[in-house]
Amino acid sequence: MSTIASQQHAAVRRDRRVTTIGALMVFLGALMAVVFGLIVPSGAHSQLTFTPLNTAVHAPWHLGALTLDTRWSDTVLGLMAIGLGVDVIVRQPRRALSRFGLTSVLFLLALLLWTSRTGGPAQTNFVNVTTVLIGSSSLVMVLIYGSLSGVMCERAGVVNIAIEGQFIAGAFLGSMIESTTNSFWLATLAGALAGALLGWVLAFLALRYMSDQIIVGVVIVTLLSALSSYLNLQILTPYPQFNLGNPAPNVAIPFLYKIPVLGPVLFNQTGFFYLAVALIALISFGLFRTRWGLRVRAVGEHPKAAESVGINVVATRYRNVILGGAIAGIGGVAFMATQGPFQPGYTSGLGYIALAALIFGRWTPSGAVVASVLFGILDYLSYNLQNYSFPLSTEILGMFPYLITIAVVAGLIGRVRPPAADGIPYQRS
Amino acid sequence: MRVELRGITKRFGSFTANDSISLTVEPGQIHCLLGENGAGKSTLMNVLFGLLHPEEGEILLEGQPVRFENSGDAVRHGIGMVHQHFMLVPVFTVAENVVLGFEPTKSLNRLDHERARDEIRQLSERYGLDVDPDAVVESQPVGIQQRVEILKALSHDARLLILDEPTAVLTPQEIDALIEIMRALAAAGTSILFISHKLKEVRAVADVITVIRQGRVIDSVSPETSEADLAALMVGRSVSLTVAKEPVTVGGASLELRDVVVRDDRGLVAVDHVSLSVHTGEIVALAGVQGNGQTELAEAIAGMRRVESGHILLGGVDITNKTPREILDAGLGHVPEDRHRDGLVLSMSVADNLVLNTPRRAPFARRGTRQLRAVAENARELVARFDVRTTGIDASAGSLSGGNQQKVIVARELSRPLVAFMASQPTRGLDVGSIEYVHQQIVAERNNGRGVLIISSELDEVIALGDRIAVMYAGRITGIVDSSTSREDIGLLMAGASHVH
Repeated sequence: MSTIASQQHAAVRRDRRVTTIGALMVFLGALMAVVFGLIVPSGAHSQLTFTPLNTAVHAPWHLGALTLDTRWSDTVLGLMAIGLGVDVIVRQPRRALSRFGLTSVLFLLALLLWTSRTGGPAQTNFVNVTTVLIGSSSLVMVLIYGSLSGVMCERAGVVNIAIEGQFIAGAFLGSMIESTTNSFWLATLAGALAGALLGWVLAFLALRYMSDQIIVGVVIVTLLSALSSYLNLQILTPYPQFNLGNPAPNVAIPFLYKIPVLGPVLFNQTGFFYLAVALIALISFGLFRTRWGLRVRAVGEHPKAAESVGINVVATRYRNVILGGAIAGIGGVAFMATQGPFQPGYTSGLGYIALAALIFGRWTPSGAVVASVLFGILDYLSYNLQNYSFPLSTEILGMFPYLITIAVVAGLIGRVRPPAADGIPYQRS
Repeated sequence: MRVELRGITKRFGSFTANDSISLTVEPGQIHCLLGENGAGKSTLMNVLFGLLHPEEGEILLEGQPVRFENSGDAVRHGIGMVHQHFMLVPVFTVAENVVLGFEPTKSLNRLDHERARDEIRQLSERYGLDVDPDAVVESQPVGIQQRVEILKALSHDARLLILDEPTAVLTPQEIDALIEIMRALAAAGTSILFISHKLKEVRAVADVITVIRQGRVIDSVSPETSEADLAALMVGRSVSLTVAKEPVTVGGASLELRDVVVRDDRGLVAVDHVSLSVHTGEIVALAGVQGNGQTELAEAIAGMRRVESGHILLGGVDITNKTPREILDAGLGHVPEDRHRDGLVLSMSVADNLVLNTPRRAPFARRGTRQLRAVAENARELVARFDVRTTGIDASAGSLSGGNQQKVIVARELSRPLVAFMASQPTRGLDVGSIEYVHQQIVAERNNGRGVLIISSELDEVIALGDRIAVMYAGRITGIVDSSTSREDIGLLMAGASHVH
């Protein structure tokens, strides 16, 4: 039996891919310790500040700036990364992926400290941690909507590559509806319906006609980006009153928003942010604790087995893809509500990064959230590092989320296993 | 439960898969349905399980006519089916698989794992089927997975259990355990319909054997009927079940493995320092339950998988990690395990498939242009010589029956001069008639002084063909014995025992 055989080998098993990722972590650590650390002139300092920029409303606290010796801080961060890498190589833990994520965060921190040090390239000699986190949070939120949409679809066995298209539809309609009705509720509803409709199109073509789901998804994205450009030119440009792009108001949660650093990041957010958090909990619970979730997962793993015990495979897939579409549609509205008026192409591939986060997170809601946080921060920094005059082009930094995903998908980091029937059309016998 | 099928007819277009089939299963009876592949056994079972709707005929349970719209209806009427390919979700636990579709829940639709576990414990105890409810199914051996399937059927109060080719994936010991389980269930009143084309086990377990051929019931006989008579009923002519083998002088090594190590797709060691030599004029049969490294070993020999260390020699020439083309040219004939994936291009014609290993060579191609006349001539000759039943040499390989597809591959591989011949699972899925033919060809190749390596998980085949039998378990060769060794001892080696007496 293969299982017996593999168990016997498991004791001495050293996965070359895990070892590779451990080596990569050691390399990053060494880079941090040497380039950002040891070769920095001694006496250079970096400052971390924590008080948000608009302190007017919600910062009843004040945290002093933290001044760090750049050389030694980055050396220590580098050594930590090396330690994590060595740990991965030696112990071959199952959760090598999350350790790699942690190393990425350490790397970013070291990078920020290095770039903002005294005598460094940045004009501002401090990094405002709270601002970075707040800035990232809206991207993180949108990625969470996207990856949760992917979880819903792919757990039921349908690949939803159209998330980007659903973002575009949600953002476009969201902006129009909000501008005309002045109601984010209606905008959200419209975005959800638009996303659901696109989900239905995907499901219909994939389930009724067994079309290739990847191709249908790509076609939907292409169609939507072209259609939104056209409608933008025809409607939104001549009538800017339809495209105000009002930001959604922040709703502070009493008491909690006063927590230093975390308060403004997590508890003084838009309704969209709180909805995303609720969805994470709801979908996690639903998928892994309820009868509904067991059936959905059975449909995604082994549809024939599900059918043989009376579960309606096609209906389950329709339902999940439409719900997933609605979630991505709301994600589009949320994007508009934090990034401003609709412009063609302004979701800039975020739907695909969400898909990457889904894979990185191994098709679980919690994993997808961790990946969304990581990718969101990376993306935010890649847009904003020019403010710190980082001597590397933003385009290169913008590649990071994709590079990480390629590494993951190429199987560098352990074995990533999608639902077994993911993307495979189901034909009743 | 008493189950009666009356005049069931099921057609697919102009093809009649079941032609007015009638049979009755008495309560507590083990009723075997014996027939070749394509005889209509599975169609009949799918009709009984509500997956297909018959054009004519009716099903009676305890004398009452019933109609099943889908398999859920059949389950509700007390029919359970253990499919040949398990209907289990590999990443779910045993408990989750058993309750799927009928889950006990708490408030908020939450799964009640406690109750599911209890249910399974009770079932296990009641039927003496030992399983761990919390084990993940894919981590369990195939025999246990099958037990889970049986439990799943029983958990829906099945009073008729349909077992579709249940022994295909089991070791001899697991087959014995399954037969015990079937007897116990039958003794407790469950009726069992057992589908098989293996004569031995059918005779061992059945109360009644119904033979079907070409969609018709041929006869219902008692298990005392001899294997030869059963085979004749199945095939419609008398078949020889043993292969006549003349003693042949064994010569030098024609295929030699030295300390070969190969990894599987997941990077785990699948072939663990295997050494074996096959001499000219002998058949070495490599036995073992599927998944113990035989597949990887065969792929490595054929150049389809990298050899990590060690050497493979063909007629004294090192072919380690050469390309498949170089290895074929060096004189290896290879019948791959999965004929649809590696043996044939199903959408191409029989004629093209017959030159698949030599398409660029004269006389089939000259100066980069295919010589279609030579290809056609070659095809006509081989089709006649190997008795391939096809509508023509231009018919697609996919339109042939499994047995004839295999004949195409064997014909192609044996139609050129070889140093050694290797066949993986050469008769998988073939009917008795085709098995007889393929076996004769393999023995003829040996008699012609070639070294032959047969890789098979069918014990009968291993014993019938092998001059020597090597047994593989967990990537290692656990023993090399001669063909007079008892089935039980070979079975023990296949299950990992290191010594037999």
